[in-house]
Amino acid sequence: MENFNEGCELKEFQTLEGHSDRVWSLAWNPATGHSGIPYVFASCSGDKTVRIWEQNLSTGLWGCKAVLDETHTRTVRSCAWSPSGKLLATASFDATTAIWENVGGDFECVSTLEGHENEVKSVSWNASGSLLATCGRDKSVWIWEVQPGNEFECVSVLQGHTQDVKMVQWHPTMDILFSCSYDNSIKVWADEGDSDDWQCIQTLGESNNGHTSTVWALSFNTSGDKMFTCSDDLTLKLWETDSRRMQSGNEFAPWRHLCTLTGYHDRTIFSVHWSREGIIASGAADDCIRLFVENNESLVDGGPLYKLLLKKEKAHNMDINSVQWSPGEKRLLASASDDGTIKVWELLSL
Amino acid sequence: MADIFDSSLNLEETHFKEGYDEGYKDGLITGKDESKQVGLKVGFEVGEELGFYRGCVNVWSSALHVDPNCFSSRVKISIKQMDELIEKYPVLDPENLQVQEIMDSLRLKFKMVCSSLHVKIDYDGYPKSSSDAKDIEF
Repeated sequence: MENFNEGCELKEFQTLEGHSDRVWSLAWNPATGHSGIPYVFASCSGDKTVRIWEQNLSTGLWGCKAVLDETHTRTVRSCAWSPSGKLLATASFDATTAIWENVGGDFECVSTLEGHENEVKSVSWNASGSLLATCGRDKSVWIWEVQPGNEFECVSVLQGHTQDVKMVQWHPTMDILFSCSYDNSIKVWADEGDSDDWQCIQTLGESNNGHTSTVWALSFNTSGDKMFTCSDDLTLKLWETDSRRMQSGNEFAPWRHLCTLTGYHDRTIFSVHWSREGIIASGAADDCIRLFVENNESLVDGGPLYKLLLKKEKAHNMDINSVQWSPGEKRLLASASDDGTIKVWELLSL
Repeated sequence: MADIFDSSLNLEETHFKEGYDEGYKDGLITGKDESKQVGLKVGFEVGEELGFYRGCVNVWSSALHVDPNCFSSRVKISIKQMDELIEKYPVLDPENLQVQEIMDSLRLKFKMVCSSLHVKIDYDGYPKSSSDAKDIEF
Protein backbone atom coordinates (compact mmCIF):
# COMPACT_ATOMS: atom_id res chain seq x y z
CA MET A 1 0.00 0.00 0.00
CA GLU A 2 3.07 2.24 0.33
CA ASN A 3 2.77 3.66 -3.17
CA PHE A 4 -0.71 5.01 -2.43
CA ASN A 5 0.60 7.41 0.13
CA GLU A 6 2.54 9.22 -2.55
CA GLY A 7 -0.49 10.09 -4.65
CA CYS A 8 -2.59 8.43 -7.25
CA GLU A 9 -5.24 9.10 -9.78
CA LEU A 10 -8.62 7.58 -10.53
CA LYS A 11 -8.67 7.68 -14.30
CA GLU A 12 -11.89 7.30 -16.23
CA PHE A 13 -11.50 4.35 -18.53
CA GLN A 14 -14.89 4.19 -20.19
CA THR A 15 -18.46 5.42 -19.86
CA LEU A 16 -21.09 2.81 -20.68
CA GLU A 17 -24.44 3.94 -21.96
CA GLY A 18 -27.42 1.76 -22.70
CA HIS A 19 -29.77 1.78 -19.74
CA SER A 20 -32.68 4.13 -20.27
CA ASP A 21 -33.21 4.81 -16.57
CA ARG A 22 -31.13 5.08 -13.41
CA VAL A 23 -28.60 2.31 -12.83
CA TRP A 24 -29.08 0.89 -9.36
CA SER A 25 -26.39 -1.66 -8.94
CA LEU A 26 -23.66 -3.65 -10.66
CA ALA A 27 -21.70 -6.82 -10.01
CA TRP A 28 -18.42 -8.09 -11.45
CA ASN A 29 -18.38 -11.74 -12.44
CA PRO A 30 -15.85 -13.23 -9.99
CA ALA A 31 -14.75 -15.87 -12.50
CA THR A 32 -13.53 -13.31 -15.01
CA GLY A 33 -10.58 -10.95 -15.35
CA HIS A 34 -7.83 -13.54 -15.01
CA SER A 35 -6.26 -16.39 -17.01
CA GLY A 36 -7.15 -14.60 -20.21
CA ILE A 37 -10.90 -14.56 -19.48
CA PRO A 38 -12.26 -11.11 -20.38
CA TYR A 39 -13.78 -9.03 -17.60
CA VAL A 40 -17.56 -9.33 -17.34
CA PHE A 41 -20.00 -7.49 -15.12
CA ALA A 42 -23.77 -7.13 -14.87
CA SER A 43 -25.74 -3.96 -14.23
CA CYS A 44 -29.39 -3.49 -13.33
CA SER A 45 -31.67 -0.54 -13.73
CA GLY A 46 -34.96 1.25 -13.29
CA ASP A 47 -35.57 0.40 -16.97
CA LYS A 48 -36.46 -3.16 -15.75
CA THR A 49 -33.51 -4.74 -17.54
CA VAL A 50 -30.20 -6.27 -16.64
CA ARG A 51 -27.25 -5.74 -18.96
CA ILE A 52 -24.18 -7.93 -19.26
CA TRP A 53 -21.01 -6.08 -20.23
CA GLU A 54 -17.90 -7.83 -21.52
CA GLN A 55 -14.46 -6.45 -22.17
CA ASN A 56 -13.08 -6.86 -25.67
CA LEU A 57 -9.60 -8.27 -25.20
CA SER A 58 -8.17 -6.54 -28.27
CA THR A 59 -9.57 -3.03 -27.74
CA GLY A 60 -9.81 -3.20 -23.95
CA LEU A 61 -13.24 -1.61 -24.13
CA TRP A 62 -16.46 -2.97 -22.68
CA GLY A 63 -19.47 -3.66 -24.82
CA CYS A 64 -23.00 -4.72 -23.99
CA LYS A 65 -23.14 -8.44 -24.59
CA ALA A 66 -26.67 -9.19 -23.51
CA VAL A 67 -29.82 -7.45 -22.32
CA LEU A 68 -31.92 -9.53 -19.94
CA ASP A 69 -35.43 -8.21 -20.28
CA GLU A 70 -39.03 -9.37 -20.38
CA THR A 71 -38.71 -11.17 -17.06
CA HIS A 72 -38.87 -8.47 -14.44
CA THR A 73 -41.88 -6.20 -14.69
CA ARG A 74 -40.49 -3.44 -12.49
CA THR A 75 -37.14 -1.89 -11.46
CA VAL A 76 -34.29 -4.36 -11.02
CA ARG A 77 -32.67 -3.15 -7.82
CA SER A 78 -29.78 -5.53 -7.24
CA CYS A 79 -27.78 -8.29 -8.91
CA ALA A 80 -25.21 -10.84 -7.73
CA TRP A 81 -23.12 -13.56 -9.38
CA SER A 82 -22.73 -16.95 -7.77
CA PRO A 83 -19.12 -17.62 -6.67
CA SER A 84 -18.56 -19.82 -9.72
CA GLY A 85 -19.79 -17.04 -11.98
CA LYS A 86 -22.26 -19.40 -13.65
CA LEU A 87 -25.46 -18.04 -12.15
CA LEU A 88 -26.70 -14.47 -11.84
CA ALA A 89 -29.39 -13.57 -9.32
CA THR A 90 -31.43 -10.39 -9.85
CA ALA A 91 -33.77 -8.81 -7.28
CA SER A 92 -36.65 -6.70 -8.47
CA PHE A 93 -39.36 -4.38 -7.21
CA ASP A 94 -41.80 -6.82 -8.84
CA ALA A 95 -41.40 -8.92 -5.64
CA THR A 96 -39.42 -11.66 -7.36
CA THR A 97 -35.81 -12.72 -7.59
CA ALA A 98 -34.75 -14.27 -10.89
CA ILE A 99 -31.91 -16.72 -11.41
CA TRP A 100 -30.14 -16.61 -14.77
CA GLU A 101 -27.81 -19.22 -16.16
CA ASN A 102 -25.15 -18.54 -18.75
CA VAL A 103 -25.75 -21.17 -21.42
CA GLY A 104 -23.12 -20.78 -24.09
CA GLY A 105 -23.19 -17.00 -23.93
CA ASP A 106 -26.97 -16.74 -23.74
CA PHE A 107 -28.62 -15.97 -20.45
CA GLU A 108 -31.67 -18.02 -19.59
CA CYS A 109 -33.97 -17.38 -16.66
CA VAL A 110 -33.90 -20.78 -14.96
CA SER A 111 -35.77 -20.01 -11.78
CA THR A 112 -37.92 -17.35 -10.15
CA LEU A 113 -38.05 -17.02 -6.38
CA GLU A 114 -41.34 -15.78 -5.06
CA GLY A 115 -42.15 -15.11 -1.46
CA HIS A 116 -41.55 -11.47 -0.63
CA GLU A 117 -44.73 -9.46 -0.26
CA ASN A 118 -43.40 -6.55 -2.29
CA GLU A 119 -40.16 -4.91 -3.51
CA VAL A 120 -37.04 -7.07 -3.22
CA LYS A 121 -34.10 -4.78 -2.56
CA SER A 122 -30.99 -6.91 -2.43
CA VAL A 123 -29.64 -10.39 -3.12
CA SER A 124 -26.44 -12.14 -2.02
CA TRP A 125 -24.79 -15.59 -2.43
CA ASN A 126 -22.85 -17.21 0.38
CA ALA A 127 -19.18 -18.15 -0.11
CA SER A 128 -19.88 -21.70 -1.30
CA GLY A 129 -22.80 -20.74 -3.52
CA SER A 130 -25.17 -23.09 -1.69
CA LEU A 131 -27.31 -20.40 -0.08
CA LEU A 132 -28.92 -17.24 -1.34
CA ALA A 133 -30.31 -14.40 0.75
CA THR A 134 -32.84 -11.76 -0.27
CA CYS A 135 -34.39 -8.84 1.58
CA GLY A 136 -36.93 -6.15 0.90
CA ARG A 137 -39.54 -3.64 1.81
CA ASP A 138 -41.61 -6.19 3.71
CA LYS A 139 -38.91 -5.93 6.45
CA SER A 140 -38.02 -9.58 6.08
CA VAL A 141 -34.89 -11.44 5.05
CA TRP A 142 -35.28 -14.77 3.23
CA ILE A 143 -32.70 -17.52 3.01
CA TRP A 144 -32.92 -19.96 0.10
CA GLU A 145 -31.02 -23.18 -0.47
CA VAL A 146 -29.85 -24.15 -3.93
CA GLN A 147 -31.19 -27.59 -4.85
CA PRO A 148 -30.28 -29.82 -7.76
CA GLY A 149 -31.79 -28.75 -11.07
CA ASN A 150 -31.76 -25.01 -10.35
CA GLU A 151 -34.47 -25.38 -7.74
CA PHE A 152 -34.43 -23.04 -4.76
CA GLU A 153 -36.09 -23.87 -1.49
CA CYS A 154 -36.87 -21.41 1.26
CA VAL A 155 -34.88 -22.32 4.35
CA SER A 156 -36.00 -19.55 6.64
CA VAL A 157 -37.73 -16.19 6.78
CA LEU A 158 -36.06 -13.82 9.21
CA GLN A 159 -38.02 -11.09 10.86
CA GLY A 160 -36.41 -8.59 13.16
CA HIS A 161 -35.90 -5.39 11.27
CA THR A 162 -38.62 -2.85 11.95
CA GLN A 163 -38.29 -1.16 8.55
CA ASP A 164 -37.34 -1.72 4.92
CA VAL A 165 -34.20 -3.90 4.66
CA LYS A 166 -31.79 -2.24 2.22
CA MET A 167 -29.08 -4.83 1.75
CA VAL A 168 -28.09 -8.39 2.61
CA GLN A 169 -24.52 -9.58 2.46
CA TRP A 170 -22.99 -12.93 3.42
CA HIS A 171 -19.72 -13.05 5.29
CA PRO A 172 -16.84 -13.77 2.81
CA THR A 173 -15.84 -17.06 4.43
CA MET A 174 -18.53 -18.17 6.89
CA ASP A 175 -22.25 -18.83 6.68
CA ILE A 176 -23.17 -15.74 8.66
CA LEU A 177 -25.56 -13.25 7.11
CA PHE A 178 -25.56 -9.47 7.58
CA SER A 179 -28.46 -7.15 6.81
CA CYS A 180 -28.81 -3.39 7.05
CA SER A 181 -31.97 -1.37 7.16
CA TYR A 182 -33.97 1.83 7.11
CA ASP A 183 -34.35 1.16 10.85
CA ASN A 184 -30.71 2.38 11.19
CA SER A 185 -29.42 -1.00 12.35
CA ILE A 186 -27.26 -3.82 11.06
CA LYS A 187 -28.29 -7.33 12.05
CA VAL A 188 -26.16 -10.46 12.14
CA TRP A 189 -27.89 -13.81 11.50
CA ALA A 190 -26.61 -17.34 11.96
CA ASP A 191 -27.90 -20.91 11.99
CA GLU A 192 -27.93 -21.71 15.67
CA GLY A 193 -28.70 -25.39 15.50
CA ASP A 194 -28.70 -27.91 12.70
CA SER A 195 -32.33 -27.63 11.68
CA ASP A 196 -32.73 -24.35 9.81
CA ASP A 197 -32.77 -22.47 13.08
CA TRP A 198 -31.64 -19.07 11.82
CA GLN A 199 -31.61 -16.40 14.49
CA CYS A 200 -30.48 -12.83 14.90
CA ILE A 201 -27.34 -13.13 17.00
CA GLN A 202 -26.35 -9.48 17.11
CA THR A 203 -27.84 -6.08 16.36
CA LEU A 204 -25.51 -3.18 15.72
CA GLY A 205 -27.59 -0.12 16.45
CA GLU A 206 -27.26 3.34 17.84
CA SER A 207 -26.54 2.00 21.31
CA ASN A 208 -23.42 0.24 19.96
CA ASN A 209 -22.05 3.45 18.39
CA GLY A 210 -24.01 2.56 15.28
CA HIS A 211 -25.59 4.70 12.61
CA THR A 212 -28.23 7.32 13.34
CA SER A 213 -29.97 7.02 9.97
CA THR A 214 -30.61 4.48 7.18
CA VAL A 215 -27.74 2.03 6.66
CA TRP A 216 -27.44 1.57 2.91
CA ALA A 217 -24.61 -0.88 2.39
CA LEU A 218 -21.83 -2.88 3.96
CA SER A 219 -18.61 -4.46 2.76
CA PHE A 220 -16.01 -6.81 4.25
CA ASN A 221 -12.26 -6.94 3.97
CA THR A 222 -10.82 -10.10 2.38
CA SER A 223 -10.21 -11.94 5.63
CA GLY A 224 -13.66 -11.07 6.93
CA ASP A 225 -12.68 -9.69 10.34
CA LYS A 226 -13.52 -6.09 9.45
CA MET A 227 -16.59 -4.51 7.91
CA PHE A 228 -17.41 -1.02 6.69
CA THR A 229 -20.99 0.26 6.68
CA CYS A 230 -22.27 3.44 5.05
CA SER A 231 -25.28 5.50 5.90
CA ASP A 232 -27.63 8.37 5.34
CA ASP A 233 -26.06 9.87 8.49
CA LEU A 234 -23.10 10.89 6.26
CA THR A 235 -20.62 8.57 7.96
CA LEU A 236 -18.76 5.37 7.20
CA LYS A 237 -18.33 3.09 10.17
CA LEU A 238 -15.74 0.40 10.68
CA TRP A 239 -16.58 -2.70 12.71
CA GLU A 240 -14.28 -5.45 13.85
CA THR A 241 -14.53 -8.97 15.21
CA ASP A 242 -12.06 -11.32 16.83
CA SER A 243 -10.82 -13.31 13.83
CA ARG A 244 -9.34 -16.16 15.85
CA ARG A 245 -12.51 -16.68 17.83
CA MET A 246 -14.51 -16.40 14.63
CA GLN A 247 -12.46 -19.03 12.81
CA SER A 248 -12.53 -21.48 15.70
CA GLY A 249 -16.25 -21.65 14.92
CA ASN A 250 -17.18 -22.79 18.40
CA GLU A 251 -18.80 -19.59 19.46
CA PHE A 252 -19.95 -16.39 17.86
CA ALA A 253 -17.40 -13.62 17.93
CA PRO A 254 -19.38 -10.41 18.35
CA TRP A 255 -18.70 -7.34 16.25
CA ARG A 256 -17.73 -4.04 17.79
CA HIS A 257 -17.42 -0.51 16.55
CA LEU A 258 -13.84 0.49 15.78
CA CYS A 259 -14.05 3.94 14.22
CA THR A 260 -16.29 6.37 12.33
CA LEU A 261 -15.20 8.28 9.24
CA THR A 262 -17.04 11.53 9.59
CA GLY A 263 -16.71 14.94 7.92
CA TYR A 264 -15.84 13.54 4.51
CA HIS A 265 -19.33 13.31 3.04
CA ASP A 266 -22.08 15.91 3.00
CA ARG A 267 -24.75 13.83 1.27
CA THR A 268 -26.06 10.28 1.73
CA ILE A 269 -23.48 7.53 1.16
CA PHE A 270 -25.19 4.79 -0.85
CA SER A 271 -22.36 2.38 -1.48
CA VAL A 272 -19.14 1.20 0.07
CA HIS A 273 -16.77 -1.44 -1.27
CA TRP A 274 -13.51 -2.80 0.06
CA SER A 275 -10.85 -3.85 -2.48
CA ARG A 276 -8.62 -6.89 -2.05
CA GLU A 277 -5.75 -4.53 -1.37
CA GLY A 278 -7.60 -2.68 1.34
CA ILE A 279 -8.75 0.42 -0.51
CA ILE A 280 -12.26 1.45 0.48
CA ALA A 281 -14.38 3.14 -2.17
CA SER A 282 -17.55 5.08 -1.40
CA GLY A 283 -20.26 6.31 -3.75
CA ALA A 284 -22.58 9.06 -2.60
CA ALA A 285 -25.44 11.37 -3.49
CA ASP A 286 -22.96 14.22 -4.03
CA ASP A 287 -21.89 12.53 -7.32
CA CYS A 288 -18.37 11.94 -5.93
CA ILE A 289 -16.28 8.82 -5.50
CA ARG A 290 -13.96 8.78 -2.52
CA LEU A 291 -11.19 6.32 -1.73
CA PHE A 292 -9.90 5.65 1.77
CA VAL A 293 -6.86 3.70 2.99
CA GLU A 294 -5.54 2.66 6.36
CA ASN A 295 -3.48 5.40 7.96
CA ASN A 296 -0.07 3.86 8.67
CA GLU A 297 0.88 6.75 10.91
CA SER A 298 -2.04 6.19 13.24
CA LEU A 299 -0.12 3.57 15.22
CA VAL A 300 2.64 6.07 15.91
CA ASP A 301 0.78 9.25 16.66
CA GLY A 302 -2.64 7.89 17.47
CA GLY A 303 -4.28 9.68 14.56
CA PRO A 304 -7.31 8.46 12.62
CA LEU A 305 -7.25 4.80 11.57
CA TYR A 306 -8.25 5.59 8.00
CA LYS A 307 -7.52 8.55 5.77
CA LEU A 308 -8.88 9.92 2.52
CA LEU A 309 -6.75 8.82 -0.41
CA LEU A 310 -8.57 10.79 -3.05
CA LYS A 311 -11.89 12.38 -3.91
CA LYS A 312 -13.15 12.25 -7.48
CA GLU A 313 -15.43 15.25 -7.94
CA LYS A 314 -18.27 15.01 -10.46
CA ALA A 315 -17.57 11.36 -11.10
CA HIS A 316 -21.15 11.23 -12.41
CA ASN A 317 -23.78 13.83 -13.19
CA MET A 318 -26.13 12.46 -10.57
CA ASP A 319 -26.24 10.27 -7.42
CA ILE A 320 -23.84 7.32 -7.38
CA ASN A 321 -25.75 4.22 -6.33
CA SER A 322 -23.04 1.61 -6.43
CA VAL A 323 -19.25 1.32 -6.54
CA GLN A 324 -17.59 -2.07 -7.06
CA TRP A 325 -13.94 -3.09 -7.36
CA SER A 326 -13.13 -5.65 -10.01
CA PRO A 327 -11.71 -9.09 -9.36
CA GLY A 328 -8.44 -10.04 -11.05
CA GLU A 329 -5.14 -8.22 -11.04
CA LYS A 330 -6.13 -4.79 -12.24
CA ARG A 331 -7.31 -1.99 -9.98
CA LEU A 332 -10.58 -1.37 -11.77
CA LEU A 333 -13.57 0.27 -10.17
CA ALA A 334 -17.02 0.42 -11.72
CA SER A 335 -19.67 2.92 -10.65
CA ALA A 336 -23.40 3.04 -11.38
CA SER A 337 -25.43 6.21 -11.26
CA ASP A 338 -28.84 7.83 -11.45
CA ASP A 339 -27.57 9.50 -14.62
CA GLY A 340 -28.12 6.15 -16.40
CA THR A 341 -24.47 5.43 -17.04
CA ILE A 342 -21.86 3.07 -15.70
CA LYS A 343 -18.27 4.18 -15.57
CA VAL A 344 -15.18 2.03 -15.39
CA TRP A 345 -12.21 3.63 -13.63
CA GLU A 346 -8.62 2.58 -13.21
CA LEU A 347 -6.63 3.48 -10.13
CA LEU A 348 -3.14 4.54 -11.19
CA SER A 349 -0.24 5.42 -8.93
CA LEU A 350 1.57 8.54 -9.97
CA MET B 1 -81.98 28.77 59.21
CA ALA B 2 -81.38 27.68 55.65
CA ASP B 3 -80.26 30.18 53.09
CA ILE B 4 -83.06 30.74 50.62
CA PHE B 5 -80.51 31.02 47.83
CA ASP B 6 -78.92 27.68 48.69
CA SER B 7 -80.70 25.64 46.06
CA SER B 8 -80.01 28.11 43.29
CA LEU B 9 -76.35 28.39 44.29
CA ASN B 10 -75.97 24.66 43.98
CA LEU B 11 -77.87 24.60 40.74
CA GLU B 12 -74.80 24.28 38.55
CA GLU B 13 -73.29 21.54 40.67
CA THR B 14 -76.51 19.58 40.79
CA HIS B 15 -76.96 19.72 37.08
CA PHE B 16 -73.38 18.71 36.51
CA LYS B 17 -73.84 15.69 38.73
CA GLU B 18 -77.07 14.71 37.04
CA GLY B 19 -75.49 15.02 33.62
CA TYR B 20 -72.48 13.05 34.70
CA ASP B 21 -74.56 10.19 36.07
CA GLU B 22 -76.66 10.08 32.96
CA GLY B 23 -73.60 10.15 30.69
CA TYR B 24 -71.87 7.48 32.73
CA LYS B 25 -74.85 5.19 32.49
CA ASP B 26 -75.18 5.74 28.75
CA GLY B 27 -71.47 5.29 28.22
CA LEU B 28 -71.53 2.02 30.05
CA ILE B 29 -74.31 0.70 27.86
CA THR B 30 -72.93 1.89 24.49
CA GLY B 31 -69.37 0.93 25.53
CA LYS B 32 -70.47 -2.60 26.28
CA ASP B 33 -72.39 -2.69 23.06
CA GLU B 34 -69.46 -1.44 21.01
CA SER B 35 -66.94 -3.77 22.57
CA LYS B 36 -69.32 -6.59 21.87
CA GLN B 37 -69.31 -5.57 18.21
CA VAL B 38 -65.51 -5.24 18.11
CA GLY B 39 -65.07 -8.55 19.90
CA LEU B 40 -67.43 -10.20 17.47
CA LYS B 41 -65.58 -8.71 14.50
CA VAL B 42 -62.06 -9.53 15.74
CA GLY B 43 -63.16 -12.95 16.90
CA PHE B 44 -64.63 -13.65 13.52
CA GLU B 45 -61.48 -12.45 11.75
CA VAL B 46 -59.17 -14.54 13.88
CA GLY B 47 -61.39 -17.56 13.56
CA GLU B 48 -61.62 -17.14 9.83
CA GLU B 49 -57.87 -16.85 9.42
CA LEU B 50 -57.19 -19.83 11.66
CA GLY B 51 -59.79 -21.81 9.78
CA PHE B 52 -58.17 -20.86 6.49
CA TYR B 53 -54.80 -22.20 7.65
CA ARG B 54 -56.48 -25.29 9.11
CA GLY B 55 -58.00 -25.99 5.72
CA CYS B 56 -54.68 -25.58 3.91
CA VAL B 57 -52.86 -27.79 6.39
CA ASN B 58 -55.55 -30.47 6.09
CA VAL B 59 -55.32 -30.51 2.30
CA TRP B 60 -51.52 -30.68 2.38
CA SER B 61 -51.61 -33.38 5.04
CA SER B 62 -54.04 -35.42 2.94
CA ALA B 63 -51.72 -35.10 -0.03
CA LEU B 64 -48.87 -36.35 2.14
CA HIS B 65 -51.04 -39.23 3.28
CA VAL B 66 -51.45 -40.34 -0.33
CA ASP B 67 -47.82 -39.76 -1.26
CA PRO B 68 -45.50 -39.22 1.72
CA ASN B 69 -42.79 -37.93 -0.60
CA CYS B 70 -44.79 -35.37 -2.52
CA PHE B 71 -43.19 -32.52 -0.55
CA SER B 72 -39.61 -31.96 0.58
CA SER B 73 -38.69 -32.75 4.18
CA ARG B 74 -38.40 -29.02 4.87
CA VAL B 75 -41.95 -28.39 3.67
CA LYS B 76 -43.21 -31.37 5.66
CA ILE B 77 -41.68 -29.91 8.81
CA SER B 78 -43.26 -26.51 8.13
CA ILE B 79 -46.70 -28.08 7.59
CA LYS B 80 -46.35 -29.99 10.84
CA GLN B 81 -45.31 -26.82 12.65
CA MET B 82 -48.33 -25.00 11.25
CA ASP B 83 -50.54 -27.80 12.49
CA GLU B 84 -49.06 -27.49 15.98
CA LEU B 85 -49.41 -23.73 16.00
CA ILE B 86 -53.10 -23.89 15.08
CA GLU B 87 -53.71 -26.44 17.83
CA LYS B 88 -51.82 -24.27 20.29
CA TYR B 89 -53.71 -21.06 19.48
CA PRO B 90 -55.72 -20.09 22.59
CA VAL B 91 -59.03 -19.43 20.84
CA LEU B 92 -60.97 -19.12 24.09
CA ASP B 93 -58.38 -17.00 25.84
CA PRO B 94 -58.08 -13.76 23.85
CA GLU B 95 -56.11 -12.01 26.57
CA ASN B 96 -53.35 -14.60 26.34
CA LEU B 97 -50.20 -12.71 25.34
CA GLN B 98 -49.14 -15.51 23.02
CA VAL B 99 -51.89 -14.91 20.45
CA GLN B 100 -50.00 -12.37 18.36
CA GLU B 101 -46.80 -14.38 18.43
CA ILE B 102 -48.54 -17.56 17.31
CA MET B 103 -50.43 -15.78 14.55
CA ASP B 104 -47.21 -14.16 13.28
CA SER B 105 -45.42 -17.53 13.21
CA LEU B 106 -48.37 -19.08 11.40
CA ARG B 107 -48.38 -16.39 8.72
CA LEU B 108 -44.64 -16.81 8.27
CA LYS B 109 -44.80 -20.59 7.94
CA PHE B 110 -47.67 -20.26 5.52
CA LYS B 111 -45.63 -17.92 3.34
CA MET B 112 -42.70 -20.32 3.40
CA VAL B 113 -44.79 -23.34 2.43
CA CYS B 114 -46.51 -21.44 -0.39
CA SER B 115 -43.17 -20.21 -1.70
CA SER B 116 -41.66 -23.69 -1.62
CA LEU B 117 -44.70 -25.27 -3.29
CA HIS B 118 -44.76 -22.51 -5.92
CA VAL B 119 -48.40 -21.84 -5.19
CA LYS B 120 -50.01 -18.47 -4.92
CA ILE B 121 -52.63 -18.61 -2.24
CA ASP B 122 -53.50 -15.31 -0.67
CA TYR B 123 -55.47 -15.05 2.47
CA ASP B 124 -57.48 -11.90 1.80
CA GLY B 125 -59.23 -11.73 5.13
CA TYR B 126 -56.74 -9.53 6.91
CA PRO B 127 -55.47 -6.26 5.48
CA LYS B 128 -52.00 -6.51 3.99
CA SER B 129 -49.28 -4.25 5.30
CA SER B 130 -48.38 -3.41 1.73
CA SER B 131 -51.58 -1.45 1.18
CA ASP B 132 -50.12 1.65 2.81
CA ALA B 133 -47.71 3.96 1.03
CA LYS B 134 -47.74 1.91 -2.12
CA ASP B 135 -46.01 4.43 -4.34
CA ILE B 136 -42.91 5.09 -2.34
CA GLU B 137 -39.85 3.69 -4.06
CA PHE B 138 -36.29 4.19 -3.02
